[in-house]
Amino acid sequence: MSDQSESLGFSQVHDVPIPYIHRISSYYQTLGYGKPYEWARYADVPFTPLEKPLNQSRVALVTTAAPYQPEKGDQGPGAPYNAAAKFYRVYTDSIDGEPDLRVSHIGIDRKHTTAEDINTWFPLKQLKRLRDEGRVGDLTPRFYGAPTNRSQRTTIDQDCVELLDELRADQADVAIIVAN
Amino acid sequence: MSLIARHLEENGIPTVVMGCAKDIVEGVGVPRFMFSDFPLGNAAGRPNDESSQAFTIELALKVLETAPAARTTVQSPLTWSDDPGWKLDFSNVEQLSEEEIAERRRAFDEIKSVAKQRRVEDGVADSA
Repeated sequence: MSDQSESLGFSQVHDVPIPYIHRISSYYQTLGYGKPYEWARYADVPFTPLEKPLNQSRVALVTTAAPYQPEKGDQGPGAPYNAAAKFYRVYTDSIDGEPDLRVSHIGIDRKHTTAEDINTWFPLKQLKRLRDEGRVGDLTPRFYGAPTNRSQRTTIDQDCVELLDELRADQADVAIIVAN
Repeated sequence: MSLIARHLEENGIPTVVMGCAKDIVEGVGVPRFMFSDFPLGNAAGRPNDESSQAFTIELALKVLETAPAARTTVQSPLTWSDDPGWKLDFSNVEQLSEEEIAERRRAFDEIKSVAKQRRVEDGVADSA
């Protein structure tokens, strides 16, 4: 860091959000995988204003995490990437109790995090507290699992449609979507 | 997940995405995005840190309530570490030796083979 940037209180050059698209594209090209992945991108973005305050709204939680499947190998904490734990269809389950969900099938940062605490990727415990405190009106009785399909066509034509149906069936007013 | 946010929103359900990959989510374009500058896998707060998790979900709710327009991104003020060096590591070929690259190529071939087997088992791909 130069004397000037230090005296002005600038952060370090690399202290910016990680440029994942560039990193991942370079990484797989270097590993010898030809055609780079084409990331989804849109010029237009939809927007639906809230119809009512959150303390009168029913909140849905959408996750990419997978239910723990004991027969599918190491799913953590600290598990290496585990493609066997992937799932390919939308699923739902009750929010009652403490669902055991894992992220071993997702490209999380395995060097700097171990996936030891479910609350870092599945904030159900916090949402239940907020419901009990009246910050949000209610939670839907189920949460919703979204596959991390590589095919954007499958995500759009199948997963998005099924998730909307499930959320509507549970009369969700708003959705919190946790990406991992 | 960004595609899901867009679809729900197009059909009348307001959403907020919580995530750690700023360029990917903003590239797709979502209505509301609560960005945590944390390693992937920690979109809902720091591990074993309940106050961080409570702060993060509350900020997500505020983004949901107050975003004035589409493509609203709010970055959490929380930081992962006093040392930002962790940001240099993820999938960064500039940090890898030839030997490490060769090892990762081998590991990736294995992962692809397991994933293919899963798809066959789930009936979403044929075994050809």
